[in-house]
Amino acid sequence: MPGAFGPEEVRRVAEAALDLPGADGVEVLLMHEWGGLTRFAGSRIHQSTWLENTAVRVRVVRGGRIGVAATNAFTPEGARAAAQSALEMASVVSPDPLYPGLAPPQPVPEAIGLDEETAGCTPERRAEGVAELVGRCGRELSAAGAFETLASEVALANSEGQFCWAPLTRASLATVVTGPEGGSGFAEAVARRVGEIDPGAVGRRAADKAERSRRPEPIEPGRYTVVLEPAAVATLVGFLGWLGFGGREYVEGRSCLSGRAGEQVAAPQISIYDDGTSPQTIGLPFDFEGTPKRRVDLIERGVFRDAVYDRRTAKQAGTQSTGHALPPPNPEGPFPLNLFLAPGEASVEQMIAATERGLLVTRFHYTNVVHPTRSVITGMTRDGTFLIERGEVARPVRNLRFTQSILEALANTLAVGRETELASEFFLSASRVPALHVEGFAFTGASDH
Amino acid sequence: MPSSAGSGTLGDGPAAGRGRRCGRGARVLDLVREAVEAARRAGADYADARVVREETESITVRNQEMEGIDRASSEGIGIRVLTGGRWGFAATARLEEPEIARTAELAVRIARAAARLPGEPVRLAEVEPVTGTWRSPMQEDPFEVPLERKVSLLVEATRRMQAVRGLAFAEASADLFRRRTWLATSEGTAVDQTVVHSGAGIEATALGDGELQRRSYPNSFRGHIAAAGWEHVERLGLIEEAERTATEAVELLSAPECPSEVTTLVLDSGQVELQVHESIGHPLELDRVLGMEESYAGSSFVRPEDRGRLRYVSPLVSIPGGLGTFAWDDEGVPATRVPLIVDGIFVDFLSSRETASVLGLSSTGAMRADGWQHLPLIRMTNINLEPREGTLAEIIADTKDGVFMATNRSWSIDDKRVNFQFGCEIAWRIRNGRLAELYRNPTYTGITTELWGSCDAVGGREDWTLWGTPNCGKGEPSQVARVGHGVPPARFRNVRIGVRG
Repeated sequence: MPGAFGPEEVRRVAEAALDLPGADGVEVLLMHEWGGLTRFAGSRIHQSTWLENTAVRVRVVRGGRIGVAATNAFTPEGARAAAQSALEMASVVSPDPLYPGLAPPQPVPEAIGLDEETAGCTPERRAEGVAELVGRCGRELSAAGAFETLASEVALANSEGQFCWAPLTRASLATVVTGPEGGSGFAEAVARRVGEIDPGAVGRRAADKAERSRRPEPIEPGRYTVVLEPAAVATLVGFLGWLGFGGREYVEGRSCLSGRAGEQVAAPQISIYDDGTSPQTIGLPFDFEGTPKRRVDLIERGVFRDAVYDRRTAKQAGTQSTGHALPPPNPEGPFPLNLFLAPGEASVEQMIAATERGLLVTRFHYTNVVHPTRSVITGMTRDGTFLIERGEVARPVRNLRFTQSILEALANTLAVGRETELASEFFLSASRVPALHVEGFAFTGASDH
Repeated sequence: MPSSAGSGTLGDGPAAGRGRRCGRGARVLDLVREAVEAARRAGADYADARVVREETESITVRNQEMEGIDRASSEGIGIRVLTGGRWGFAATARLEEPEIARTAELAVRIARAAARLPGEPVRLAEVEPVTGTWRSPMQEDPFEVPLERKVSLLVEATRRMQAVRGLAFAEASADLFRRRTWLATSEGTAVDQTVVHSGAGIEATALGDGELQRRSYPNSFRGHIAAAGWEHVERLGLIEEAERTATEAVELLSAPECPSEVTTLVLDSGQVELQVHESIGHPLELDRVLGMEESYAGSSFVRPEDRGRLRYVSPLVSIPGGLGTFAWDDEGVPATRVPLIVDGIFVDFLSSRETASVLGLSSTGAMRADGWQHLPLIRMTNINLEPREGTLAEIIADTKDGVFMATNRSWSIDDKRVNFQFGCEIAWRIRNGRLAELYRNPTYTGITTELWGSCDAVGGREDWTLWGTPNCGKGEPSQVARVGHGVPPARFRNVRIGVRG
C-alpha cells in the first residue's frame, strides 16, 4: 500500500508551476488518493477494487483572465505542463470582472490527520468485515453492499505564498439486505477510522429491518406525519445545501433562500451549520482556494442567517469568503461540504409514540429537484417503510413517491432526534444529521414493492 | 443518471494535453500485454489490462463573459483478474513497470480475498480474441480547433440570447472528450481504439417573483453531444436558435402552472431520450436483473424468465454515431446490434461475459469502464427507439386534446424502475391538433410498463435524433458513462401530469 507523499514532496511538485513566466498569479491544487472497495451482492463478494490516483489542477491568472488545466501526472513536469496550458487558455479569454485575487497567506486549522489503519486497510480485512456482516443475516436473507476504505492528501499552494496540506481518511460500510417476501432493509456506517465501523452491527440493523418489512402492503399516497431516520434527513439537508446555501445562487436570486436573511424559514428546533473543522465530520481544514475553514451558522433556531461564499462570490456580496470554494473553474460557485443539523432531544421511539397515524421512513432513493426556488424535490422511499398507528409501528408498506418542499418540511418539524449519524455520498463531503418528526409530508405516488 | 449535485473531489479527469507518460500506440500495447503477463505470473486464471488516456476540454460562457475554461488529462492502467472464480481489480496512475507488476499482484490478492465468502465461481461466456485499431469518425478534430473560434461561437450565442428583454442569464457551453483505450487479455485480444465526442448547447434563465425558468437548446444538461468532431457543434445552430430559446424562458415566467390531470401526452425526442434511458435502458441491464447492483442504484422489475414474454414496447436497435458507439467493449467483445424489444415484446438484455454465461447466452458487448481507474460494468450503448412514421408536427396535428412537453428538467425513478416522475422545461396545451397556451413547471408520472403500454404513436426518421447522455451514473465506486439514445418523438395516452406536493 502506498503512503502519503507528505507536504515537502507535494510542495516540490507545486513549485514547478508556481514560478511560471508570464503569469500574474498561479494556484496549484494537488490531490493524491488511494483505497479499496469490497462490493458484495447475493451475500458473496462480486466486485472488489483498488485504486491509486493523483491530480494536479492549476489555475493561472494573467491580466484578470483565467485558465485552468489539470493532469493526473503528479510530477514537476506534469504540473508545469498544466500551468503552461492554463496560461495559453488565459491568453484568449476575456477578463473576469469579479476576479477576487488569490488567497493571501494565512494559517489554517490543524488537520485531524491520517488514520494509518484506514489508509493501509487490506482487502483481507474488508472481506472479513463483509463476512461478519453477512453472518448476521439469517439464511433466508441476502446482503448486498460495499465496504470502502479511502485515504487522501490534499494541498493548495499559490503564488501569493499560501500553502496548506492535509491528509484525510474515510471508511464506510453500507448494506441493503433483502428477504424472500419483499422485505428489504438498509443500514450504513461512515467514519474517519475503519476501527469505528462495526460490520456486525450494520448487518444486524439491516437484517432486522428486512425481517420486519416482509410482505409490505400497499398504502394510499397523501399527506402523512413522518418519522424520517437520519439517512432520509441527510437527503433533505444535502439538497438544501445545493438549492439554498450556495453563495452564487444566493447572490444571483436563484436560491430558495435568496432575499430571506433574518427570516424564520424553519421550525425553531432547526439549526443548520457547516463546519469542515469538526472531528464529527469528514472534512478538510481549508477550501480549494486555500481559505481556512470554520463553523458557519446557516439556519439558527429556524432563522436563515447567510449563505456560504468563496472569494469570488464574497466579492459579489460584499463580504468575506467563508472557506467554501470548490476546485476551479467551478461555474457552480461555493458549496457547503460539511453540513450539520444540530440534534434535539427526542428519541425515534418517542417520535413514533407521539404519532397517531404516520410513516417511518428509512431512506430515500433517486431524489431530484422539481422546483429549485421553491426547494421542491421528488424521490422514492426505499429499504424499510412502515406505517405507524396509535403510537406504534403497525406494519411494513410498499414504497411511496414524495414530492415535497424541503423548507416546508423543516417548517413543519415537530421534533428533532437526539442521536446523529454521519452520511457521506462523496469523499470530501459528509453531513451529520439526526432523525426528524415532520407533519404533512407529501407522498404523491406509489410503487409495487 | 446521478441524482445530486457535483462532488467536491478533484476528479482525475482533466487535461493538460502534454506531459504524456506513455509512449506511442504499439509500445503501450506491449505495456498492457506485460501487465496481463504479470497478473498471470501472480496467479490469475484470466487477466485483462487497459491503459486509458483521456483528454477533456470544457468551456462555459455566461452573458458574453468567460465562466470557466479548463482542460484535463488522465492516464493510468487498470488490471482485472479472475482467480479461483473471483474477480479482483487494481488500478494505478503510476505507469512505471515495477508499479504495474505490484498492481497486478494486488489484483490477484484482492480476488483471493473475495473467496472469504462462498459462492458460485464466475464463468465467462466465450468470445473470439480480436486484434485491431479503431477510431470513431470525425471531420474536424475539436482539440485542434483554435480556442478563439470555439469561444467566439459561444459568446455570440449568449449575445443573441441577451438581446431578449427580461432574461437573467444566457449561458453557452462546449464539451470535448477524447478517450484512447489499449486493451489486452490473457485470451489474446489486443486492441487500440479512440473515441472523440463533441458537444455544445445554450441555456437561457429567467427569474422573477421567486420563479426560475429555464430553456435549453438543443437539449438540457449542456446540449447535444455526439461521437463526432467540431463539425457537429457548428451544425447545431446555437446562434440561430438563441433568440427563440431566450424568448421561451422569459414567456414561461408568466405562464400558468401545468394543470393536474390525466391526459394524452406528447413528448419531444429530447424527453423520450430520458424516458428510454431510465425506463428501458437501465431495467434491461443484466447485472441489475441479477441483483449485482442491488445496494446502490437498485435492481429491475424485469426477470430473466421474462425474455420473449414481457410486453414492453416498440423495437429497439443500435446504430453508429452516438456516445455508446465503439468497436469493442472493455472485455474485447465486438460491438453489435441487438434487438432488445421486438414488436413490443422484451427479447434480450444488455450483458457482459459473466452475466451472459449465467443465462447461457453470449455477451451483447456492453461492458464499459469510466476510464482506467474503474472496473468495466454493463453500460448502455446506443439504446434506440426505432422510428415509425410521422413528424412531431403530424403527431400533434393528430391529437385532439392533450399536452406537449419538451426538454428534460428533472428525473426520478424507483430502485426497480417501476414508478417514475419526470419534469420538463416547457409544455403547451394541444387543442384540436394545434399548440395552444404555454404551461410552466410541467411534470408527469406513471408506472413503466403502463406508460410504454399506452404509447400509440412513435415518430418517423424526420424527427429522430441520436442524443448523447454523458452523465449516466452506476456502480460502487461510482462511475459515469457516456451513452447514446436515438429516439423520435412519441405519444402516450392516459398519463397523469402536473404532480404537486
